[in-house]
Formats: sequence, C-alpha cells, structure tokens
Amino acid sequence: MEQMFRYILTALISTVAACQFIQVITRYVFETPIMGLEETALIPTIWLYIMGSVNASREDTQIRANVLEIFLKTDHARAILQAISEVISIAISIWLTWWAWLYFSYSIRVWKGTPTLYIPTFIYESALFIGLLMMTAFTIWHLIRNVQYLLGYRTKPDHEIDPDLPTTNEVEEFKILADTQKGDNNG
Amino acid sequence: MVEIAILAFAVLVILLTIGVPLPYCFGAGLIVMTTVGEASMRGMMLWGFSQLTNPVLLAIPLFVFAGTIMSISGIAASLLDFVNIFIGRIRGGLGVVAAISCAIIGAISGSGLTGIAAIGPLLIPEMERKGYPRAYATALVANSSILGLLIPPSVTMIVYGWVTDTSILACFLATLGPGLLIMTNFSIVNLVMSRKFPLILDDPMPMKQLMSEASKRTVSAVPALLMPVIILGGIYGGIMTPTEAAAVAVIYSLPVGFMIYKGLTFKTLLESGKESATAVGAILIMILFSLMLSQIYVMEDIPQMLVDKIFEITDDKVLLLILVNLFLFAIGMVVNDITAIILTAPLLLPLMSALGVSPIQFAAIMGVNTAMGGVTPPYASILYLGARIGKVKFTEVVKPAMLLILFGYIPVVILVSVWPDLSEYFPRAFGY
Repeated sequence: MEQMFRYILTALISTVAACQFIQVITRYVFETPIMGLEETALIPTIWLYIMGSVNASREDTQIRANVLEIFLKTDHARAILQAISEVISIAISIWLTWWAWLYFSYSIRVWKGTPTLYIPTFIYESALFIGLLMMTAFTIWHLIRNVQYLLGYRTKPDHEIDPDLPTTNEVEEFKILADTQKGDNNG
Repeated sequence: MVEIAILAFAVLVILLTIGVPLPYCFGAGLIVMTTVGEASMRGMMLWGFSQLTNPVLLAIPLFVFAGTIMSISGIAASLLDFVNIFIGRIRGGLGVVAAISCAIIGAISGSGLTGIAAIGPLLIPEMERKGYPRAYATALVANSSILGLLIPPSVTMIVYGWVTDTSILACFLATLGPGLLIMTNFSIVNLVMSRKFPLILDDPMPMKQLMSEASKRTVSAVPALLMPVIILGGIYGGIMTPTEAAAVAVIYSLPVGFMIYKGLTFKTLLESGKESATAVGAILIMILFSLMLSQIYVMEDIPQMLVDKIFEITDDKVLLLILVNLFLFAIGMVVNDITAIILTAPLLLPLMSALGVSPIQFAAIMGVNTAMGGVTPPYASILYLGARIGKVKFTEVVKPAMLLILFGYIPVVILVSVWPDLSEYFPRAFGY
C-alpha cells in the first residue's frame, strides 16, 4: 500500500508540474500555448489533492490540534481520546460522504464536458466521493486498531507519543527531509 | 443567526481540542449550520469543489515539492559554505549564518519546516563543535526557519490571498519587510547571547586565500542561488504566475538535485513526492470544507454582524489591534499556520477593514502571528522538528526559543501592527 501511494502521488505531482512547465515553455518561449492543456491538467491536479488527503487519512496525519492529548499521561488514556475522536470523525465523514455522493450522482446525470476538449468533468468530479469514501474507511481502520489496543489485542497503540519529542502531522510529513540529511551529515 | 454561527464555531473548537482532524471539525460546523441554523447545503459541494479548480492553489503543492527536492538534494551544504565564508569567522557568526541561510532557503521554499530540515542537521552539530550549547543552536535554527513563511514565496500567503481575495504577489511582499527585520533581530540577539558562550573561533584567513575560497564556494552555490532568482524574478518580472514559477522550480530542481548536488535519488524523489502530496492533500481537503463553512457564514452575513457586535463593545483601534494580535497568537499556539489563516482571516478581515487596516497590512499581521505559532507550544511543529533534528529534549529547547521569540520576534509583531509602512513599503514599490 505504501509503495502504491508513493508511485501514485509522485506520478500525479510530477504530471501536474510537467503540465505547468510545458505551458510556460509553449506560452513564453514558443508563444503558442497548447489548447486544452489547462483543463486536461485539472484531472491529475484534483486527484492529487484528493489522493494526498486519502493518504493522510491512511497514515493518520490529517491536520489536527492535539491540544488535550499532550496533557494526558498514559498511552491508554490517549488511545481512549483517539477512539472518541475517531468515532466523531467517522460520523462527520459519513455525513460529508453522503453530500459528496449527491454531487457524484449529479455529475453522472449531467455528464458535462470541458470547454475545449469535451473531456467529461466526471473524471475529476468523482474524486471527492471516492476520496471521502476511502478516508472514512481508513478512519474506521484506525478506530479498529485503537479499540484492539484498548481491549488488549494489540501491544502498541495506533499512535505513540514520546513526551521528550512531541510531534505533529507536519513533523511526520517532513521526516524524510530530516532523516535524509541526518543520514548524510549528522554522523 | 450570529448565535448559531458562534455555536458552530464553538463545536469546531471543542472537536479541534479533543483531536478530531480539522476537515471533520469544519464538517461539524457545517452540520450545525445546516441542521440547527437551517442554512442550505444544496449546491455547496459543487461550489466548494469548483473552488479547488482554481490554478492559484496549485502553487501550494508545487512550492512544497520544489522546496523538498531542493532540500534533499544537498543544496543546504553549499548554501551554508557560501554564507559561512563571509561571516562565519566572526564571534557569533555561525548563528548569523543560520538566520541568513534560513532566509535564503525561505526564498526557495514556501514552508517554515524546510529551513530547519535542510540546515539543522548540518549546522546544529557544527555550532555545537564551535562551543554553542546544542539546545540554543537548535532553538536558533528552528526559530530562523520561520523565515520560510515570511520570505516570498510563502504558502500561507497564497492561502491568505486566496481566501481574502487579495493579490497574492502583494501578500508575498507584505511579509518580506517583517521577515528581513526578524532575520536582523535574530542575528543581533545571537551576537549578544553568543558573548556568554565559550566559542572556538577559526584563525583569520589571509585575504588571498579568502578570495579564492569565496569564489570557489560562490560557484558551487550558484545553482542553489539561481532558484530564488528564477522564482521571484519570474513572478515579479511579470513572466510567470506563482503557479507557473513553482512548476519551473520543480523542474529546475530535478537536474540540480540529480546531477549537480547529487543528493537526490529516485527513492528520495518518490518519498518527497508522496510526502509533499500528502501534506498538500491534508491542507486542501481542510480548505474545501472550511470554504464551504465560510461561504455559509458570508451568505448569512455573519462577519459583518460580528463586526457590529464587536463595535458595540468597543471601537478603539489600538485596543482591537492588541486583542486581534493576542487572539492570533493564541490560535497559532493550537493550530498550524494555514489552519489559523483559514479559520480567522475571513472573519477578521471585515473588522480590520472597518478599523482602516488594509488587507495587505493585515496579511503581514496574520503572517507574522501565525508563523510564530510554529515555535510556540503546544502546536509547535517547527520546534518539534528542531528537537528531533538537534537530538535534544523538547523541554530543553523551549527556554532559548522563547528568549529568541521575546527579543527577536515580538518587537516585529508589534511593529507590523502599528507601522503600516513596514508591510506596505515593498508592495507599494512594486505597484500594488
């Protein structure tokens, strides 16, 4: 799964960068912008946003404040708080997914095309419903892992905290930079 | 309706406090507004989704990706060598190198975390070898890393410009003056504080050797130094939009990373692609739902009603500016910079306009306050990452970090509020 997301997300972000770069070159160097490139680029762009968010749910790195969590002393107490937060998240996510489903159905019914190339907008409009569905599924998965820990079926909580080195989702995201540089230079 | 809007905001804050992810907190706000407040969700998904197709937003993932690639590529070592040759030999000079290098990294990346991630692993051990306490070195590099959010391009300013419909190029320039001032302040504070440390200084270099070394290191740093020239020159020269400049930066960083600095490998490229996309996905899904909530607020005229309610209590500009700064400071302590902007900018801008504060000055006020949130616990991502990289306990970093904030950062926060020219000079000079 990790490897799959690595390839998908890098492919999407690279495609988006390449489309913009090509547009710059054709517009400013050759002075002949490619027709329809911008609307085509919307497909990888929207899927990049949504799949990025799905991966954040998979890795449990969605943006959150964790204000209360810092004051809790034991892993058990933190796991209970996380389980409560996940139950609430799932309920809200289902509500949002329902509205995204209505938008998805509308998109199929209307079947719009892009202005220049007539690409069905459904290709990227469907991303929101599919993405929210996957985000809900991953949140349920994290809840199950937390409940398993609370019931004693797992030895480690889903999310461990080191009081000497607290973390946030952003710190987790930037670990690659720190780890790479550390490996090279920090001895 | 104001009461229901406040209830929705309260629910949002309670859920945020217990650790519910931000997109769902905004979702809860939407539930309150549509069930209790009877606002309509009909068409809201369509409207919100259409906002995501705005090309301006695309600059966020691309700047994050370009910054990550450049940082992994080994750019930091050449930048540090370059800055170090000029000021590294004076007493406390290495601390100044930290501030200036983070500012240069800030002109490449739009994130506050890139500076500490790129510079920290190299500079913190080096500073310790030269006699700086490790916790102080970590705090200094982490605090300087904030400059990534203030020196253009800046992801937070893209978001601010977008949610408040203010020129993003003007917003970039609004935080430039405060950013440069903070860099100078940190350098001065460091020079004063380093007098207490038993520093080991290198012997002075003969002028001829210095010149030869300087030219060698300058040549090595040119590919790195060209990046801000391409990005900022492209944007302010009117050649490229910020999104296009970000894409060019990504493409430029690939050969630089693979072939010149050789720090980039296929594996690290994949990893940075995934992490940049994930970071951005988490931001944009939150933006989507927050925009929908803001739109409902706007449709119900909530921001204006709030301004009226506040003016019923007081219309003293100084008092309100102090309160807004304290509010932003408190918000910055519990959520990240982008969240703070999304949460508060649409609500506070009407109040600021009524007080005669321009959207550009308010961009700087929001920029400096929310950036400071990155180093003020409990949600201090930049400081947390610094503690990991510096291999020191978080509690040890807090004290020197707070000293730097007190003497280096707070004076600028105050100045930005009371001296509009500090934030408006550069935008005016560029015709905004």
